[in-house]
Amino acid sequence: MNFIKDHIISSYDLSDGKLENVLSAACPTNIDFADLYFQYTNSESWQLEDGIVKNGSSNIDSGVGIRSVSGDKTGFSYSNNFQYENLLSAANTSKCIVNSGQDKEIKIGTEKEIRRLYEPISPLSYKEDNAKVEFLKDIDKYIRSKDNRVDQVIVSLAGVYDSILILNTDGIKAFDDRPLVRFSVMVILKVGDRRERGSAGGGGRYTYEEIIGKKFGYEFADEALRQAAVNLEAVDGKAGAMTVVLGPGWPGVLLHEAIGHGLEGDFNRKKTSAFSDLIGKQVASNQCTIVDDGTISKRRGSLSIDDEGCETKCNTLIENGILKGYMQDKINSKLMNVDPTGNGRRESYACLPMPRMTNTFMLPGEYNPKEIIESVQDGIYAVNFSGGQVDITNGQFVFTASEAYTIKKGKIQEPIKGMTLIGNGPEVLKKVSMVGNDLKLDDGVGTCGKDGQSVPVGVGQPTLKIDEITVGGTQV
Amino acid sequence: MKNKDNSISDYKNKLQKIINKLDSKFDYEFNMSLSDGYSVTSRSSEVENIEYHQDMALNVSVYKDYQKGSASTNDLSEKSIQQAIEKAQNISINTQADDCQGLPESQYTTQKWEDMDIYYPKTLDIKNIIDLTKDCESSAFQKDKRVTNSEGSSFTFSDNTHMILNSNGAYGTFDSTDYSLSCIALAEQNKLMERDYWYSSTRDFDALESSNHIGEKAAERVIARLGAKTIKTRVCPVLFSPEMTSSLISSFLSAINGSSIYKKSSFLIDKIDKKIFPDFVNIQEDPSLSNGSATRPYDSEGVLTQKKDIIKDGILKTYLLDTYAARKLKSKCTGNGVLTNIIVSSKKPEANLLQNMTDGLYITDMMGSGANSLTGDYSRGAFGYLIKNGEIQYPVTEITVASNLLQMFENIVSLGDDVDNRNRIRTGSMLIDNITIGGT
Repeated sequence: MNFIKDHIISSYDLSDGKLENVLSAACPTNIDFADLYFQYTNSESWQLEDGIVKNGSSNIDSGVGIRSVSGDKTGFSYSNNFQYENLLSAANTSKCIVNSGQDKEIKIGTEKEIRRLYEPISPLSYKEDNAKVEFLKDIDKYIRSKDNRVDQVIVSLAGVYDSILILNTDGIKAFDDRPLVRFSVMVILKVGDRRERGSAGGGGRYTYEEIIGKKFGYEFADEALRQAAVNLEAVDGKAGAMTVVLGPGWPGVLLHEAIGHGLEGDFNRKKTSAFSDLIGKQVASNQCTIVDDGTISKRRGSLSIDDEGCETKCNTLIENGILKGYMQDKINSKLMNVDPTGNGRRESYACLPMPRMTNTFMLPGEYNPKEIIESVQDGIYAVNFSGGQVDITNGQFVFTASEAYTIKKGKIQEPIKGMTLIGNGPEVLKKVSMVGNDLKLDDGVGTCGKDGQSVPVGVGQPTLKIDEITVGGTQV
Repeated sequence: MKNKDNSISDYKNKLQKIINKLDSKFDYEFNMSLSDGYSVTSRSSEVENIEYHQDMALNVSVYKDYQKGSASTNDLSEKSIQQAIEKAQNISINTQADDCQGLPESQYTTQKWEDMDIYYPKTLDIKNIIDLTKDCESSAFQKDKRVTNSEGSSFTFSDNTHMILNSNGAYGTFDSTDYSLSCIALAEQNKLMERDYWYSSTRDFDALESSNHIGEKAAERVIARLGAKTIKTRVCPVLFSPEMTSSLISSFLSAINGSSIYKKSSFLIDKIDKKIFPDFVNIQEDPSLSNGSATRPYDSEGVLTQKKDIIKDGILKTYLLDTYAARKLKSKCTGNGVLTNIIVSSKKPEANLLQNMTDGLYITDMMGSGANSLTGDYSRGAFGYLIKNGEIQYPVTEITVASNLLQMFENIVSLGDDVDNRNRIRTGSMLIDNITIGGT
């Protein structure tokens, strides 16, 4: 099913002829390109805290975004409803970016067959609200029965169904249905006056059937408990430059911040990125090969087509340390005279698309993770992170560890308190001296923000060693 | 906005009619927001984007027998509103009873409210606005030759309306406008680029800082960053700029928010009447500041907002409580379903904090999410300037700032008189001793 195709188009009597009129209105002769983005989003969330599921919420957001593009100029408007007259009016507003010429005649193409990376099913069609509540309660009970130091448990379950239609003046007509679910658990343990937190979660582009009552919910509960228990033992860590080994999976947030954003096409077209003009140059050690892959089935960061109707791809960003290419949307690829890479994404119909990441990860290397740790005389081993940020112009980036240990003479020692790591994007990956053979992708919880727009993404990496990076502990 | 008053009373009547027809065993609360406006960005002396927005949203909460459900929709047709209500009702049936749940007591809620000085509608010619952004960007380029690139200058405008209505008789509505003008400038030296920005944000278009000032300020700030060096790890006094101080205060405010307190996920639980800051520090909430960026007459539940002391002579006087958190903590609601303007003040504000520093850092930018609200542990990336004998030596990059928020508040030496009035949190710069700086 597709909600736009099956319900909206017919209820609002939007024939191809009418849609062609809207596109024509958005694309007079002096406009190069126009597109319409129809979206119907239905989402819900359930949360347990203090032992009870005291509230749930349901949200519907729908509308049509209309964009008129001339060179590097973009006019944009949207309508919160699907009435033909409102779409025409939004199209007339959007084309005001240039002094208008004659409306062009536009033909809508035939519907594009898309390669499906996930089932077109709404997670919200799962009718048993009671089963969701019972599942959350059961997780809470499970956690509280496992450890008498538990002071708080917060568990949540969220589902989104996104139905879209993309129409553009290049003749694209493409529908996509995007399910997305997410489960998260946070535990606070208390001993004396000390409280520490652990959290875990996961999800992807599938339905609640794969979560509710399934083993992995309990595994995340165990993981959150384990982290909180580790943090109860954590001591103050040192400040300064040191050797850092990053664990596999979610620590790949390193790649997202250190190089990912800097390789987005818009920044490189405008030459505002620390990576501008570095194609073909060495930007990482030769052990590093990094891809952005939007094509992995059912993953949180994956899309069958991007928000401009282009099929997503597996794009090699860095190969054996050499910068190969940027991530592009339509406008920037055209202005930079390269092919789109399927990275044109937007938070919703009410926002403009931009080049964005999908699932960004480093391919495995040759080292056994154990030998990587054994190679470190004095350093830290960081295995969990809570997020990061980057200044793409000077390349400075941070990411914040939430679980880390000291390494002494090749052995993992006591846990240390969470701290921020800071480095320089174009430099830090040159200091990667060992890459493990244990590639892991994250569990499906990542959200990336850019220009106020949030989109779901994924990251991953094998265990890797950075010879030197600045660590923000409190001890000197 | 066309016939704004009419459309609000139409919506009010529509919702009132819906309430009258609804199952009276439920309580209902409707929160509506409408926002119209646009943003214009110019870059390289050309207009780059014009984006028009027109947002509407209706949130419904329903309560029955201490059970709650919520739903929202951006389609304000009667049919969609009915569907949202049904959804909220269905959810509430499946949630668990919690006797703290329910509408606010009617003696606290709004029926009559003060007019707030935050609505300055103005008809603007988009051509003039485009010119304004072009001027702003070119002022940055003209200020200094080392400004070599820009991310452009942007203007945003929105005209907003809020309305609340509940089945206990609370009703309120207010209008507000927001205008902002900003510029992001890039500069280059020895093939290394930096970026920095400046902005002005007001309720009244005519109160915006001039486009020239904003462009030049962005240029000055980015030029000052050129030639940044790394420094050795150390423990030293740090002067946080007003923007960075505001970020520290924001971590404090989220830790005293009622939901952090009842969830026991704050480092400030059980701290009422305890000393958190030095004697000379006061923090107040003032919901009715003229032109204030967070000024509003009532909160998200329709409870009248209140002017109050949060920190008085360094002592924590209150948590920030909405109806639910107040009941949960057996306390009185403080009208903090939202947080309004916050004023941080000192009994002895100092004029030349930087000039009086002998040795330390002036931090003007921080990155990352390294404030742990549960433990107060603090560790973030930073950018700033090395200070010796009251003078800036050089910009400093790739450093971390680490401590614990409780210790940092305790170690506040002084507050500056350089108050930044653009934000919700109005504060000057803050000098704090004993901060760990991670470097090379």
